[in-house]
Amino acid sequence: MSNSPHVPMIPTGQKSSWDAVINNRIFDDLNIESNAILLDVLRDSVGMLGVKRGCDLGTCGCCTVLIDGVPKLSCLTLAAETKGKQITTVEGLANGSHLHPIQKTFTECGGSQCGFCTPGFLVVISALLNENSNPNDREIKDAIEGNLCRCTGYQQIVDSVHAAAEILNSNQSVKDNTCAQVDPHPGIDRTTE
Amino acid sequence: MSKDKEIKGYRQQPGKIPFAKPGSGGREPFSKLRDLEMIPKSEGGYRAQPKGKNRHDHLLTGSTIGRRTPLVDSNWKVTGQAKYGDDIRLPNELIGRILRSPHHYARIRSIDTSEAESIKGVLAVETGQKHTDLFGVLPVTKDEHAMAVDKVRHVGDLVACVAAENESVALEALRKIKVDYEVLNPIIDMKKSLKDVEEPIHNRGKYHIGRSNVQKRVFQEFGNFESVKNPYVSSKSKWKYAGVNHGFTEPHAVVADWEPSGRLTLYTPQQVPHYVHRSLADVLKIPMHQINVHRTFVGGGFGGKSDPFPHEMCAAILARKTGRPVRITFDRDEVFYTNRGRHPSHIEMNLHADKEGRICGIETDALIDGGGFASFGHVTTYYNGVLHTAPYEIGSFHYTGARVWTNKPASGAMRGHGAVNSRCAVELGIDDICEQLEVDPITFRLANLLPPHSSTITGFRITSIGMRDCLEKVREACDWEQKFRKLPFGHGIGIGCGFFISGSGLPIHWDPNKFPHATVHLKIDMDGGVTIHTGAADIGQGSDTVVAQSVSEVLGLPIEMIRVKSRDSDTSPVDLGSYSSRVTFMNANAAISAAIKIRDELIKATADICNVEEKSLVIGDRRIYQKKDPAVGVSYLEALHKAQEERGALISSGAYRTPPMGGVHKGAAAGLAPAYSFSAYAAEVKVDAETGITEVVKVWAAHDCGRALNPLSVEGQIIGSCHMGLGQVLTEEMRYTKKGNLLNPNLLEYKIPTIHEMPEVVPIIVESNDPEGPFGAKEAGEGPLLPILPAVCNAVYDAIGIRTNELPITPDKLYKLIEKKVRSLKLDSPLNLPNPKLNYSKLQNTLEDRADNHKVRDQDRKLDPKREPYYNGTIFGKVSTIPPEEQDERWTLSVTPSEEYLANPRLAGSAWKHVEVRHMKRGDET
Repeated sequence: MSNSPHVPMIPTGQKSSWDAVINNRIFDDLNIESNAILLDVLRDSVGMLGVKRGCDLGTCGCCTVLIDGVPKLSCLTLAAETKGKQITTVEGLANGSHLHPIQKTFTECGGSQCGFCTPGFLVVISALLNENSNPNDREIKDAIEGNLCRCTGYQQIVDSVHAAAEILNSNQSVKDNTCAQVDPHPGIDRTTE
Repeated sequence: MSKDKEIKGYRQQPGKIPFAKPGSGGREPFSKLRDLEMIPKSEGGYRAQPKGKNRHDHLLTGSTIGRRTPLVDSNWKVTGQAKYGDDIRLPNELIGRILRSPHHYARIRSIDTSEAESIKGVLAVETGQKHTDLFGVLPVTKDEHAMAVDKVRHVGDLVACVAAENESVALEALRKIKVDYEVLNPIIDMKKSLKDVEEPIHNRGKYHIGRSNVQKRVFQEFGNFESVKNPYVSSKSKWKYAGVNHGFTEPHAVVADWEPSGRLTLYTPQQVPHYVHRSLADVLKIPMHQINVHRTFVGGGFGGKSDPFPHEMCAAILARKTGRPVRITFDRDEVFYTNRGRHPSHIEMNLHADKEGRICGIETDALIDGGGFASFGHVTTYYNGVLHTAPYEIGSFHYTGARVWTNKPASGAMRGHGAVNSRCAVELGIDDICEQLEVDPITFRLANLLPPHSSTITGFRITSIGMRDCLEKVREACDWEQKFRKLPFGHGIGIGCGFFISGSGLPIHWDPNKFPHATVHLKIDMDGGVTIHTGAADIGQGSDTVVAQSVSEVLGLPIEMIRVKSRDSDTSPVDLGSYSSRVTFMNANAAISAAIKIRDELIKATADICNVEEKSLVIGDRRIYQKKDPAVGVSYLEALHKAQEERGALISSGAYRTPPMGGVHKGAAAGLAPAYSFSAYAAEVKVDAETGITEVVKVWAAHDCGRALNPLSVEGQIIGSCHMGLGQVLTEEMRYTKKGNLLNPNLLEYKIPTIHEMPEVVPIIVESNDPEGPFGAKEAGEGPLLPILPAVCNAVYDAIGIRTNELPITPDKLYKLIEKKVRSLKLDSPLNLPNPKLNYSKLQNTLEDRADNHKVRDQDRKLDPKREPYYNGTIFGKVSTIPPEEQDERWTLSVTPSEEYLANPRLAGSAWKHVEVRHMKRGDET
């Protein structure tokens, strides 16, 4: 046994209370360490497991969340910086039982294959569409340049954005076919009957 | 269902889906029986289509096959509800962490864990000493331990693991484990691994090859080598390929939970849960039935999650010791140190062609760097050779390959397993030969293709082949005639081809004649929904969707009525896993045969209700009815309830096994597959000769997948493959220093193309309708990666006239080649480099005629059910129906080198200079 005093490798910060509005839900009873990373807080304390950890270095974009509507890498953000702010994760994109158009078109255009990078792409694109409801290829590319996708080669993601923009501009809302309240017989199109 | 005779035909099910009225066929007034058998007239249509025994029959319903179908699990993914490895959070969980070796190569003298164990919050510290059983993905090369037992073999090799209440305590405990290492001399350069050393990295006992670090060596000679002695033209190249990592976005993660019943459940994102299942049983010394392997959502695999991994064993060991669930998640650098990516390799490629423009010989020598462990390496060594014996007819084939151990993270299987690098070398060689022969490279390829239903030089059975279509469609789409050798300097276009196995003919673990490769169980109860139980691992490629589509197609149900249960080994029948591009081919075939059994029962029940003959019935959209009078029939639910009388839920099981095929020589099974996919790509690039920067502008990608069951997924696979291949050809490289230190174990310095580097890809789907594939389908997951590398390299030559021989073509490497050429030509600027030109020789016409003749030959062979066999070599004047070895006295078929060869072997071939320990004479060992 060594005689040197115990020096922990990761210094523990002081715990203090933290609050934020995450996906329109108020979280005000959390106690976090002053050096806690937002990604860890969201995944481990809040339980938003849709926020993915891909690299911890800000290189893959899987952990992107919206902080007051602006895409940020949660792995490079101290939780303390976001105190009192509005945070949106992929779980907060759907409006009740209605999916965000980009969620719908991601499934239809093949924007998601393994799906691990999808949450990051979705929040970035939702922020883009929020500002610019009809982005061109260049604007889409600039928006998602910080996100890595290893499956799709990005092409079908860009297709999805265009399709979503079309839905947005036509003012349609998207049915959530995972929700039984909306449609007890999902997938069966009865409009012709 | 009551037996009341009045109930015929349609009846509304209260509270259930309102079925449409009789005769309406559901949504549509009449059910559409799509004619999947129809061949367009342009392709010789209206002649009978050949049918194999696995082809689906006449009762096609047209429900889903061939439609762009969103993945059945995509709603989980887009809403953030998909649970990947690290998202499995069980109550009372502990965090596991792994202590990794800081040394390349060292012997462990002792490990002191007492201080780590004394830390508050640490529940278990385990080392390799108690877990000495070997495991590995291939039964013939088990060489991994849960943790190092005597030696660490690369930086990042597992030494110990801890389970603690939280991550910081776990990391703290790792820091307090004291390991006494005796550092050994590492071997980093793969060429040095060919030599005898004092202490080889592994000891394989009597199977060890000398005292070298050669893990596997292959020697193959097929053909008459007379023609190679004096070829008309030759292309010789020496290639150096960097190692590549899969770069999946989800780092490895695992959760082990020892349940109160005494059984282990392991939650892991795995491509091959079944092999993990076996390995766990080996390492934990418990029977397989005590283990449930649960496959979580997999955040990308590409071959990188297809080994049973030591950390999975560690999690199980820790969970057993602590009695609590243990979760281990990797950091990104741990992913790179686990690796199993594409082998760094040295490939020497000699290609020879004769006066007639035929490929009379391919001589390949591949030395591949396996890193610290065997992994899939046994197979990779074969694949580097045998997977370039098609799609061309070749006069002779000589391959020497060796895979060696070095003190680096292990290489393994990665998309396009073993075929990618040597394919790139072959395709560049062909381009070079065409340059020398002054012919068009696409014409040359079209004039040298194997026909459908033929046999390659090594005895692979080719069934359908859409290579010709791929080449023709790409040539047309990219405007080849106007661009090739005609674009301005710095701007070029190139072609590349490839073929890949669609499932491995031999399963890794058992005799193929005794067990099926894939099994699917179906269960349908009163509710009418169909539950599919399958062990096939959906890793994002959409295998759940394909199996659901197959069942939906056979039973005429909407895909929403199908649910796929493919996660737990407790409920899923054994499936070998997602590798070798086998899932669609094998699993969908199994699903079809299971669904047909259910359909037969439904048809019989309908015949009983309606009192008509079974043969007169067809299946439409949720209805079974008479073909000639669609008003006579019942709803699907009625038929189901009738069939359920007396017996309850309908249950069926279907299986697939490959037919017997292939040669008898050693290694004949490697590369053997029930079908092969083919692809041809053209790439257009811009090269800045002053900086060496290569930009890919556009890619035209034609892939023959037999039949696109889900075109959306096939296109996704083609574009995704291009992305991964472009990474390898332009930017991706696992960079090691000379001392073996990995310089870029993170995604910042390991350059995966972002959207800005990604060119537009035009996917072109070619359907050759394979007679044995499910609905005619073959693979589309790995094959599409192969052609992109040579297409880009050939385009670089077209742009600036420089042939590269090292991947990736980073600007510094390319500029060095440019500089060298500028100096040798005594030019004052790289911009004055000569732009390659092409003036056709007389041979061009000969080749065009031959290509036209072969096109007719291929169409006839495809459609003629009484076709005779066709062996490789016919183009060289041999009789097509007799194997070449039986008609050519000087035909060599050898898998061991001669004394003559050993006197002057090539690089990898020199591995054969060693004698295996069991063949050594007494006294040689010392």
